[in-house]
Amino acid sequence: MKNSFTPSSSDKLPSNKPSSDNPSSRKKALAVIVSGLVCLALDFAASWYAVAYNDSRLVAPMDFSEYAFTAKDLPMICSITLTCLYIFFLLFLIVRTAFRNQKQVRQTQTTRKISPKLGFLGFLGFMGFLGFWTYSQNKDIQPFMFFMFFGFFGFFYEGKLSNTFMDERFRENAMKAQLESLKISFAVIIAAFVLLGQGALWGSLEYNLIAAMIVVFFSLALFLFLNEYLLYRYDHDEQSEA
Amino acid sequence: MPDFECQLKKYRQLKDMTQEQLALQVGVRRETIMRLEKAQYNPSLKLAVDISRAVEAPIEELFIFPP
Repeated sequence: MKNSFTPSSSDKLPSNKPSSDNPSSRKKALAVIVSGLVCLALDFAASWYAVAYNDSRLVAPMDFSEYAFTAKDLPMICSITLTCLYIFFLLFLIVRTAFRNQKQVRQTQTTRKISPKLGFLGFLGFMGFLGFWTYSQNKDIQPFMFFMFFGFFGFFYEGKLSNTFMDERFRENAMKAQLESLKISFAVIIAAFVLLGQGALWGSLEYNLIAAMIVVFFSLALFLFLNEYLLYRYDHDEQSEA
Repeated sequence: MPDFECQLKKYRQLKDMTQEQLALQVGVRRETIMRLEKAQYNPSLKLAVDISRAVEAPIEELFIFPP
């Protein structure tokens, strides 16, 4: 029995451009960005109004149990409502795009269409270093989880393999890449935990736990990145040799 | 690296097919056919059968494994 889907050419399908490169998608993306900027501008304007004419109500921390509505609160309430609606709309777009991509992958047996430019999201990983500052200020360790975002650098390579037909060799390479990246990530975690388990890190259990958390987030990022990088290398190297 | 000899190129050329055409017919990428012809990829049984039917040659003549 033949495969129901047949690739048109070597590896890429004819419409191998990510959907973000289409003019209509670009217009939609621009509309979303402009809406976000409008929301941000309204927030700033409402905050300025509240600080200048409304005793900083709803801007400065206040006791909401004694809150009483005044007409001057309206600009701030409206801008916050709009921003919340915008965030919900963004979430809706993200979920819808994810479902559409999954459907496309199932139907066409091709990898999802994404732009390699998304790889720049990996720079968000540097926000993890904020954790050292927040921990010293108020013992807040949550920003450390941003280290996981380094994994987004993998989008550079996933984008290069965007809309590629997944034949059996591609799937084998994908499994090989996943296995290898899991092995490396677990090896890093185990090695780090063995070292940290000695309790020699400043002799503090708290510091050890924070270091362990950082290692886990880094390892997750490493897995996400290596998974895409190795798949690209396996696929690319084989093509170069051929 | 798989340890076998592949006669696919010979049979494909006998059928006057390009790698691209064969790839389309059996539902894989051209690179996969390229790797197969160089005996650098061990195909699944299904792919081997599909290729055998496409080039109208017995599997045991397409892929020769040393005893």
